[in-house]
Amino acid sequence: MISGRRLLRNLDYSLILVAMMIIALGLVTISSASTSTGTGQGVFLTRIVGKQLISVALGTVVLIIIMFLRYEDLSRYRRILYGLNIFLLLAVLVSGHEALGAQRWIQIGGFQFQPSEPAKLIMIITLADFLARREGNLARLRDLLPVFAYVSVPMLLILVQPDLGTTLVFFAITFGMLYVAGARPLLLGGLASGGLGGVLLWIWGHLQHGIWIPLKDYQISRLTIFLNPWADWAGAGYHMIQSQIAIGAGGLWGRGLYSGSQNQLNFLPEQHTDFIFSVLAEELGFVGVLILLTLYFILLYRGLRIASQARDLFGTLMATGIVSMLFFHILTNIGMTAGIMPVTGIPLPLFSYGGTSMLTTLAAVGILLNIWLQRQKIIF
Amino acid sequence: MDRKTADRNATDRKVINKKLNAFVAVMLLIFLILGTRVAYLQIFESERYRTLARENSLRLISIAAPRGEVYDRNGVKLVGNRPLYNVSLVKLGQSKEDLEPLVQRLSQILNRDPEAIWARIDDPSLRRYERIRIAKDVPLEIVSQIEENAVNLPGVSIELEPMREYPYDSTLAHVLGYIREIQPKQLEQYNDQGYRMGDQFGQDGLENTFEQYLRGEKGAVQFEVDAYDRPIRSLGVREPIPGNDLHLTIDYRVQAAAERALAAAVQAAQKTGKESRAASAVAIDVRNGEVLALASYPAYNPGMFAGDVRAAEAEEVLTSPDRPFINRAVQSSYPPGSSFKMITAIAALESGKITPEFTVHDPGYYWLERMYTCWTYPRGHGNVNVEKGIQVSCNTFFWTVGKMIGPELIAKYATDFGLGSKTGIELNWEASGVVPTAEYKRNVVQAELDRRYNPQFEALEKEYGPLIESAITDEEKGRLTREMQKERARIQAQYDRYAWELTWRDYDTLNMSIGQGYNAYTPLQLANYVATIANGGTLYRPHLVRQITSPSGEMVYEYQPEVLRRVSVSDENLAIVRKGMSLVTQHGGTGFGVFWDFPVPTAGKTGTAEVVGKDNNGIYVAFAPVENPEIAIAVIVENAGQGSATGAPVAKEMLKAYFDLDVQENDPRAGRVNQ
Repeated sequence: MISGRRLLRNLDYSLILVAMMIIALGLVTISSASTSTGTGQGVFLTRIVGKQLISVALGTVVLIIIMFLRYEDLSRYRRILYGLNIFLLLAVLVSGHEALGAQRWIQIGGFQFQPSEPAKLIMIITLADFLARREGNLARLRDLLPVFAYVSVPMLLILVQPDLGTTLVFFAITFGMLYVAGARPLLLGGLASGGLGGVLLWIWGHLQHGIWIPLKDYQISRLTIFLNPWADWAGAGYHMIQSQIAIGAGGLWGRGLYSGSQNQLNFLPEQHTDFIFSVLAEELGFVGVLILLTLYFILLYRGLRIASQARDLFGTLMATGIVSMLFFHILTNIGMTAGIMPVTGIPLPLFSYGGTSMLTTLAAVGILLNIWLQRQKIIF
Repeated sequence: MDRKTADRNATDRKVINKKLNAFVAVMLLIFLILGTRVAYLQIFESERYRTLARENSLRLISIAAPRGEVYDRNGVKLVGNRPLYNVSLVKLGQSKEDLEPLVQRLSQILNRDPEAIWARIDDPSLRRYERIRIAKDVPLEIVSQIEENAVNLPGVSIELEPMREYPYDSTLAHVLGYIREIQPKQLEQYNDQGYRMGDQFGQDGLENTFEQYLRGEKGAVQFEVDAYDRPIRSLGVREPIPGNDLHLTIDYRVQAAAERALAAAVQAAQKTGKESRAASAVAIDVRNGEVLALASYPAYNPGMFAGDVRAAEAEEVLTSPDRPFINRAVQSSYPPGSSFKMITAIAALESGKITPEFTVHDPGYYWLERMYTCWTYPRGHGNVNVEKGIQVSCNTFFWTVGKMIGPELIAKYATDFGLGSKTGIELNWEASGVVPTAEYKRNVVQAELDRRYNPQFEALEKEYGPLIESAITDEEKGRLTREMQKERARIQAQYDRYAWELTWRDYDTLNMSIGQGYNAYTPLQLANYVATIANGGTLYRPHLVRQITSPSGEMVYEYQPEVLRRVSVSDENLAIVRKGMSLVTQHGGTGFGVFWDFPVPTAGKTGTAEVVGKDNNGIYVAFAPVENPEIAIAVIVENAGQGSATGAPVAKEMLKAYFDLDVQENDPRAGRVNQ
């Protein structure tokens, strides 16, 4: 345990402040996204906002508990954590709650719990330990194979849900951590671009020549529609077009909170979860977008700074993994709403509505804070 | 202190920091790209998007695709589509007082209670700017009235929706099925196939089985509207793609004849005081398993789900005790009665235990521990061989033969001819029927025993348990216990007496040989079994759809006859059975009374199946012509009496239609030939 006084003195306050500001901006946007008055006026505390506030409160409790632990202990429980991860992901496959064609939730009491969210964090912890133990032994392709094997079990379980987006997040995390852990950048770059190229070729082959692919048609159309959403503007392209109209209509200053017609009239689909960024862009304009992007950049920058100051490689790698995860989420979500990336259904961290995602992200922030607290050598 | 907590050396840190700096650079680059993209949308393209979003003026409305149509084998259209007009209202943010005059006017035009209209408007699940359907399927006069009064009816619009149309009303209803708004459970099940609340979905029959072919693809139109929600400018239309058409094996003439004759048969039976309520008939092309007619009485009109107007009719049909929704030809199984005797004959001939010349003398009864009377008792059929046995339906002959070969052999051949198993026709909820076995009987009787005696035993416990518990003296306790045991022994004795029935007995074999007892088959199975006798031993899978074509006429699916198996019966023995069946319509046969004047030689078999506590079911199976058969038929008229009097006339009407023996003037085929 870490003493309270020392903790208060050494906290990374800029990280905490930035996280709080993102959450606050998120709550305001969710409030607007969950009203549909269209009058420019709205009540802040909608039912959805209330639920999100509960998630924030729970997440804060989790964050504080994590801060008080010694993160090195996590490496001792790596087997249990890895096993728990597999168990949760199997549970969702067996008894999962089906929504939008995929099984992603487990119903616990009145709550829907989405194991693929904490799975990412657990994977970061276990993989950081796995890689730290192989320090200096990651130069060759042969050395990377056990790493990929280690990651692939939870990743495949998520892929079959099917949750393509989260699977991609796993890739991003793995590559980010491997890069910092000492794998050769050229090798990693080759693997990443080779893999991406291969998948693109496979999809192209499927679309052109009907080659078999383990994806359903709707998944493929989601992946490719961003190239030309107007080709199927009333179907698969609908989300993208409405989202771009919302962003574009926002202009520099935005149309004002509770005043975006795309949002208020429900043209925007899933506007408080996956497409929350479009609501922000429509109602608070480019100014609002810049504020959010700046906040995110500070958050990630602080994360990397924590990685560089960590006491040991395990800490550095955990911080790197968390930053990779958050960064990839931000990139794919905003890229999707702005029409330059495929629709993957990945939430915007600390911003989108969603309890499991909020809890997981706050837990991740707690780990970052913990690593920062222990950056100096502790003398017993 | 272990290695991990030790301070890392300076070079390590330097390498890692270099990498982390590169990480920051990549992040910065990506953030710049995202920022630039958003800036492009929000600053340079903003005007364009603002126009699109201006004054909440974009509307996306889906256009329902016309479902595929259904034709009979000769191109007669059995299901089409017609335009259906719905009246909708979009609330434009008016207050209740503002809406009041509008609702008044609407209620006058639609001749509806204003309260009912208010109920739809106030539906709390609706969002602003969502279309509220006020009335479904309104007549054209009302459509023109609303259009004339458009100025006084802000927000009211007419929508066009293709709706199912059934030119021949209830004809073929059970095969066609019906469509109705998709149910929540179906929506959940098919959610990745683009269904939305309010879409039409095939609920039964072919509409259900071929839903994916029939549904087509929805179109959509997006347009700008003004402040009164009137469209100003279309931004794009995606035309709906109509569904694929089904071309059935059904022959409309035979089907219509069957339905008319079934109704007539039930009514005729009712006139003679029978309690007949239902009937069904099936006709199959024996050469390929194509179903020519499949009728069930009573029927319903599948069009009744179209509009609000006929909701009462739908309700009445749904709750009718005659259960018109049941397709009795495939969902109900019946004891086949004497129409089963060909199976017993085939089993006996194949076993080698009898020859075609084998003869039984029928004095009018059969003796096996007690007397079983043939249906002509006290007269007998005299000397009967297998052909004559079929011709005159002699029970004594088949009892004798059945006892000789035993139930297992009969069951084997019944199963071989497809009896007692689902045929796999393209309809849901097909019944499988029952080929009786000792095990099946044991289960049925055991269930009945449990049902009857378990409650009695339990009641006894319940009655005496507390009494014994609360008895004060030992003497009292003893007396009550003895009383209870005595009572239990009494019930046990009854139980044991009935439990004797658990075992397969000789009379079960006798019942089985003449198609009574636990035998239960669907009319479709019976028709298919007769078809197999007629075509020389090939069991086809019966089917209803010959072809599916796209709206542009391309072939999407073409059915090939599917042979389930060749039955293991010699050609000679099948020929003997066919001979026996052909004698049925000859002088002395049980079908002679109906078929004596029929110009095409036909073969048949009557059946009269006993129904406990009710009038007998009348059954008739047939095939024709006798040489080179084409069509096989099975008819069952429930609780109507003898098969020769009730089922045979239906079969005759169907054969008449099939052989074009009296083409009526209003027959669509007559019209078609003239074209």
